[in-house]
Amino acid sequence: MSDILSTPHFETALARRAAPAGLGFAVREMTDRGMIDLRGLASDRKFMTAVKGVLGTDLPKAPRSAVAWGDIKVLWLSPDQWLVLCPRARAVALAAELTAALAGIHSQVTNVSDMRTVLRLEGANLRTTLAKGTSTDLHAAEVKPGFVKRLKFAEVGALINIVEDQIFELYVFRSQADYVWDFLIAIGGSAAELHLFGKQSPA
Amino acid sequence: MLTLVCPVCGAHGDETDFHAGGQAHIRRPASHDPEHISDQEQADYLFTRINPKGLHFERWRCDRGCGKWFHAARDTVTLEFKAYYGITELPPPDIMAQARGAWADYFKARQKAAAKAGAKS
Amino acid sequence: MSKPRRLSSGGSRIDRSSRVSFTFDGKLMSGYRGDTLAAAVMANGQRLFGRSYKYHRPRGVIGLGSEEMNALVGVGTGARHEPNARATQVELFEGLAAVSQNRFPSLSFDVGAINNTLSRLFPGGFYYKTFMWPKVFWKHIYEPVIRKAAGLGVAPEGRDPDSYEQIHVHADVVVVGGGVAGLAAAEAAAVMGARVIIADENAVLGGISDLEDGTIDGAPQAEWARAAAQKLYDAENVHVLTRATVVGHWHHNYVMIAERVGDHDPAIPKSGAPRHRLWKVRAKQVILATGALERPIAFANNDRPGIMLATAVRAMVQRYGVAPGEQGVVFTNNDDAYLTALALKEAGIAVQVVDSRARADGALPERARAAGIAISTGSVISAVKGKLGVEAVKIASYRKGQGRVVSERSAPCDFIAVSGGFNPAAHLWCHNGGKLTFDEGLQSYRPGSHADAIVAVGAAKGTMALADIMAEARAAGEAAAKVALPKAKAAKLAKLAISEDARKPLEAIWFAPATGKYNEGNKHFVDFQHDVTVADLELAQREGYESIEHTKRYTTFGMATDQGKVGNLNGLGAIAEATGKTIPEVGFTTFRPPYTPTSFGAITGSLTKKLFLPVRQTPVFDWHMMKGAVFEPVGQWRRPYTYPRDGEDKHVSIAREILNVRNNVGVLDASTLGKIEVKGPDAGAFLDRIYTNMMSTLKPGRCRYGLTLNELGFIMDDGVVVRFDDERFLVHTTSGGADRIAAWLEEWLQTEWTDYRVFVTPVTEQWAQFAVAGPRARDVIAALKPSFDVSHEALPHMSFVEGTLGALPVRVYRISFSGELSYEIATPANHGRALWDALLQAGAPHGILPYGTEALHVLRAEKGYIVVGDETDGTTTPDDVGLSGLVSKKKADFIGKRSLEQAHLKAPNRKQLVGLYTENPEEVLPDGAHAVAEVKDKPPMKTIGHVTSSYLSPTLGRSIAMALIENGRARMGDVLSFPLDGKVVRATVVDPVFYDKEGARLNV
Repeated sequence: MSDILSTPHFETALARRAAPAGLGFAVREMTDRGMIDLRGLASDRKFMTAVKGVLGTDLPKAPRSAVAWGDIKVLWLSPDQWLVLCPRARAVALAAELTAALAGIHSQVTNVSDMRTVLRLEGANLRTTLAKGTSTDLHAAEVKPGFVKRLKFAEVGALINIVEDQIFELYVFRSQADYVWDFLIAIGGSAAELHLFGKQSPA
Repeated sequence: MLTLVCPVCGAHGDETDFHAGGQAHIRRPASHDPEHISDQEQADYLFTRINPKGLHFERWRCDRGCGKWFHAARDTVTLEFKAYYGITELPPPDIMAQARGAWADYFKARQKAAAKAGAKS
Repeated sequence: MSKPRRLSSGGSRIDRSSRVSFTFDGKLMSGYRGDTLAAAVMANGQRLFGRSYKYHRPRGVIGLGSEEMNALVGVGTGARHEPNARATQVELFEGLAAVSQNRFPSLSFDVGAINNTLSRLFPGGFYYKTFMWPKVFWKHIYEPVIRKAAGLGVAPEGRDPDSYEQIHVHADVVVVGGGVAGLAAAEAAAVMGARVIIADENAVLGGISDLEDGTIDGAPQAEWARAAAQKLYDAENVHVLTRATVVGHWHHNYVMIAERVGDHDPAIPKSGAPRHRLWKVRAKQVILATGALERPIAFANNDRPGIMLATAVRAMVQRYGVAPGEQGVVFTNNDDAYLTALALKEAGIAVQVVDSRARADGALPERARAAGIAISTGSVISAVKGKLGVEAVKIASYRKGQGRVVSERSAPCDFIAVSGGFNPAAHLWCHNGGKLTFDEGLQSYRPGSHADAIVAVGAAKGTMALADIMAEARAAGEAAAKVALPKAKAAKLAKLAISEDARKPLEAIWFAPATGKYNEGNKHFVDFQHDVTVADLELAQREGYESIEHTKRYTTFGMATDQGKVGNLNGLGAIAEATGKTIPEVGFTTFRPPYTPTSFGAITGSLTKKLFLPVRQTPVFDWHMMKGAVFEPVGQWRRPYTYPRDGEDKHVSIAREILNVRNNVGVLDASTLGKIEVKGPDAGAFLDRIYTNMMSTLKPGRCRYGLTLNELGFIMDDGVVVRFDDERFLVHTTSGGADRIAAWLEEWLQTEWTDYRVFVTPVTEQWAQFAVAGPRARDVIAALKPSFDVSHEALPHMSFVEGTLGALPVRVYRISFSGELSYEIATPANHGRALWDALLQAGAPHGILPYGTEALHVLRAEKGYIVVGDETDGTTTPDDVGLSGLVSKKKADFIGKRSLEQAHLKAPNRKQLVGLYTENPEEVLPDGAHAVAEVKDKPPMKTIGHVTSSYLSPTLGRSIAMALIENGRARMGDVLSFPLDGKVVRATVVDPVFYDKEGARLNV
């Protein structure tokens, strides 16, 4: 009992799932990600200034973009919504700092660190493989490192962030992480790997 | 499956990335004068819709993008989107001018009311 | 009658050094690598492939590829069996097992063929005429017999062991068809830098260039096609798809391509690759280069095995080195079929030509004459002798429009190559509303206008001369690239020297006259797949089916998988002649997707088994699984219904869980409840618009139950609203309503009350939330080192506190859906399991047990609490369920308020929520049972309402039910009758709150 309450067990959605083998890419759950949902008006200078005071960076204003500063990264979600990323251990304090700095300014700060599961995918052919799950054009010119977009993935909603050219992060709701994990295994088998365009040999 | 472009964030994608919200420019009487709404006015608000062959005006939401609602002008025959515009806005004048039938009447009445309000002030 | 055979030489597609064994109807046969099943079976001396749909007539191969409508076979065995494959498309591989279809007991002797003998009883529309009455015959006689006798192949046995997938691709240009037109268009678009997908349904690109006579730069056009295909394979910006049929074209250039990845080689699907892959392609431009399909001519018994389209015969000889017989007749109305005569002659097969035109003096007929081939102009085939094959034909002289044969002569032959001209394959053009125009030269329809960014080129557009095809295709490729890439520069392609087209015009013939009447052994087929004859179409006209779409449905002409590929024009022409109309006046039937049958595997893709529907799991899902919980779906969630112990019956476990909550304490996983944070200076005012009751007056730290209505005044959702502070609220919704209500709030803020300063953030999944309910609930919380005072005074019913239990951050809501002392405790989801374990451990001394959703439902029903969706059905108002007290009279407006004022929503005879006690306390009324005004021997009886929830209440030791009954609140004490199957259950109307009416158990 004392153990349960003093150092409570921490268990993410995929804690009990073993990393799959035989895929054309690597996938793992990012359990150390703190996430804060931030609402406010980009047109409100007071809001933008107060947030910059806490985060040390301006919020990204360009649709589908992200900015990073130190151990903080901010994903654009909407003209009045951002997802602030930080180390999980920092999330509660950072949310409190933002809330304090935004007192009296129309805004909303919500710690949602447990709401989503973050899957990090690494591979050379991710754009094509993930196209088996989404109609969003991942080969489009704007889909470069920093790109952020909500999309339909398999039968659920997800958020994608291109971290590096061959590293993507997929944010899915915690309750659907198991489903998405299974879907990635279903589409990601090396034998089913597909290369789009480029030189082909006739069948 | 249709493709759309969100005028708020520029996201483009399949119809399944958006949410169709039915006819545009429906005025909710209770938001203005809740004490005086005739049964007919309420019935029109709830049920009477324009169903044109040709240019139509609709509400859509950018579900897989910024989450914002917007308006779209779409030809119901060719399915071509002629314009996208803000959720609190009227269509671009050149598109509005192409409206026929019930929509033309609607926009004429809106412009007349706006002119009247302008003259008063 | 001789048999078809393999020629000693020739066959551009086959590898004579590589033998392949396969079976057809269990018979071991041998072919070559590169053969189609059609070619290989014929090479083994067999013409017969199947029996037709209605008359069970013997049928052989007719076509060249996917348009085949006769030689439909079953391929593979057991779970890997695929019915209705076109033998002309099936590629031969070692061990292939194929079977013919629609015959019993054997292909050459088929009992069902009696339908042919009795065919006078099976005229057009026979389904509608024959099976009208008596009604009982349908279920027991007609339906099972038709089911056995009709239809084509059989379904596979067992679960498909192969995998399938889909992929979404975006392309600048999609070129449909890899014949010379498609290759030229793709090349022109690709050299400008466009991302091009070119898809062809065949294994090899080049279309029928190898069967045609035109030359490019002095070489056969097939050589140009081979080189062009290689360039496309090599290009970085082109994706070539073979064995990939573009099956449909939809709005805004959405193109679906069904790729048969592994059908030609069973090792491929066995390796883990998908068997089929469905490509969902969004194209900026689509170029249709689908070519044209040869049409037959309707002559007497034109369906006999051994009667094939002229290009198909040419392909048999030139591609596969197969002789369809020893002595052939080419029956044509155009010059193209002379190429077939020449090919046969060259292969050493005897042939003569029957040409319906009065003159045949083009370059190709002249070449045929020069080669010594006999040509009968102004002639038709008027009869065919032979049943399982062709034994001889009768040739009659013919003038256009002639109805009956005057004189005829017999000619021996064992196969016929027929050509009635070519129809542009405009099917995809029409899938999404493209218009067709009638082309007098072709005597066929070709693509007209289209609203999408799509063009047709080459034969698909009705352009038949090679030079014109190439010019048109290149121009279309270039134009498509320019539209897709406005900045792209035009690239010069080398000019091509193309031979002149020497073919002279065809002359339409829609009906070759015969001796005797149609139904005396002289069937002129137009739709082979459905056994529709010219006579059937004429009969439909006489019976008044004037619209071509009506004729189609009445006769089944052009329906199902064929979609009018082969027979369509002949049917339209026959109707035009019969009615004295022109073909454009007759119109045409709608071609629908898919162009060819598409497997369910491809349509479903990866989304099978557990991926078919996402199952949402709460943070303690694994614990529920471990404890053997029985689950029930709630939206996409799976929630524990009950937790039976080893061998325990569900009814027993549910009763145990209920009584434990009433007597001790229970814990419920309520994580699925919707949670939405609403914040802003106008949050209170906004929630006043959303809820029927007042939310702006709620004090911080307090909770209030609220109802939301839709604008029609009907209950949409319910839940507890919590106020954290002045500007911050938490809205609870039903489990199924979470997403809907969050979207609903956003919609109103964005579209109606745009001046409200309010933000809305859904947080359902951030929190694991558990209800701890029962008289000993407080003892459990108190044992978990709460950072807050849990006394009734400090934390009364409908209050909230935020704090910690040990090191766990928690939000505690003292709310109850069971009528007991109850706390709902929320902790961040990744701590959910820790909190759950802690509650069970701390609660053990107090007898804590988990309870499931069924116990939850019984507990709430005992208290008369409604469940949205049980007691409401989308037409239920707050007053109907006794909650008019929650409808504010002070507020000027809230969603649904104006509609509630409509007279019919206040009518006294509306159904109202009541409780029911059955006369027999052990009798549990079924959900949905209707109370009737008066019990009669049989329906109809007037219903006065229905049961909405019904349970055996262990707390009360008897059954209870809730019901919506007309004017129910005025009927207290009345006994109602519920007629059920074989009995009438009687129940007394009572107050819907069955237990602890005063709420004393809540306030402790």
